[in-house]
Amino acid sequence: MTVELNINGEMRRLDVDPRMPLLDVLRGELRLTGAKAVCSEGFCGACMVLVDRQAVPSCLRPVGMLEGLEILTIEGLAPFAQPNAVQEALLEHDVVQCGMCFPGMVITLTSLLYENPSPSREEVKHALSGNVCRCTGYERIVDAVLSLCGNNEVAAP
Amino acid sequence: MQAERAVLRMSYPRTVVEALHELADAQATAVAGGSWVLRAPLRREPLADRFVALNKVDILGRFDVASGAISIGPMMTHDRLARSLPHVMCLEALRSAAACAANPGVRRIATIGGNISVHGFPASDFAAALISLDAMVQIAQASGERVMPVTEFLAQRMTLQRPWLVTCITVPIHLDRASVHERLPMRRAGDYPSAILSASASRQGQWRIGVSSVEDQPKRWHALERALQGVNAAQAEEAARELAGAFSGRDTPGTPGWYRTSVLPVLVRRVVSAIEAQLGRV
Repeated sequence: MTVELNINGEMRRLDVDPRMPLLDVLRGELRLTGAKAVCSEGFCGACMVLVDRQAVPSCLRPVGMLEGLEILTIEGLAPFAQPNAVQEALLEHDVVQCGMCFPGMVITLTSLLYENPSPSREEVKHALSGNVCRCTGYERIVDAVLSLCGNNEVAAP
Repeated sequence: MQAERAVLRMSYPRTVVEALHELADAQATAVAGGSWVLRAPLRREPLADRFVALNKVDILGRFDVASGAISIGPMMTHDRLARSLPHVMCLEALRSAAACAANPGVRRIATIGGNISVHGFPASDFAAALISLDAMVQIAQASGERVMPVTEFLAQRMTLQRPWLVTCITVPIHLDRASVHERLPMRRAGDYPSAILSASASRQGQWRIGVSSVEDQPKRWHALERALQGVNAAQAEEAARELAGAFSGRDTPGTPGWYRTSVLPVLVRRVVSAIEAQLGRV
């Protein structure tokens, strides 16, 4: 069955089983490996993508239900040489460790700042409650996000 | 037709009648958000042969607020419901259930209809909340539509004649009632609560208590409802301790059944305190 998806602004026609999770299509068919396959049950947040600007776990979205929606992966969020404001802040605060969880974190935090450009510390922590990092604590990640409060570059995708 | 269906792994009905027609195929399963069906392999279950996607049946996504009740389409996600509910204390249990289940990403895709319809999910936040709020569930079957109390639906859902589909959930609005939802997870997100308890109460002391995640099936706690009339939070905890033996906690890896029942009295104290606060009694 052919499924037509709008991924990172590009229309892709794929001959896939429409029941497949988006995550498997991204990684297996399109070689977009930024979203990580970890828990496969929506708990860890490593596979987050933006679907119509909302951060959702791609492991739980059947591709056959995504036609007509805008899918943005970590690869499409910003040009490689020009990280977006969230990515810049995470780099500046030196919080990136093994990198497994960070694509998902960036997606979640970018989505949060679209919706709420000046979140409180509690709101940032709440938004990250579905993104698990096993390397480090979360406080410096939160600090990095709070440094962006009111940043128009994030608010306007 | 059969050959066509063999390769048609997903169908997109536009109406409830079309959806029921598709679901008459025993190999098909309804898909609302997808968060339950796609985890079938993790439960060591086969993925259904055919998905019947409900996202194009517009009427299933409705949300109507009238003076006496709200009508919730089963395709409402947790996130959308939490944002849509009017701020009245009698709906706080439902809002809280919608806002705190799972994690933010899952709440954006998981639906209320899927949450109460799936087989084998004992930790439904909505089940407890809807029991405490005397919700009604409308289902469609080949023979027509019917409406039943949520407790009846939850008890019958696995034995209903296929195909069936939840088409609406109605929650009465009683402005004089307060309501609260409490859950006890081990972590802030990423696991299922050991116990879930929802309560609503009128100023005259008429209680409704829904319990989920303790046993395999959610249930209304009638004996506690009677015991809570005219008692304070500490007395409520004591009453719950005496009555918790009515539950047979389910054992899962990491959470023994005895633990689930032993935390119930603490949740009862919390909900009674919160209800009293809503009603302005403390």
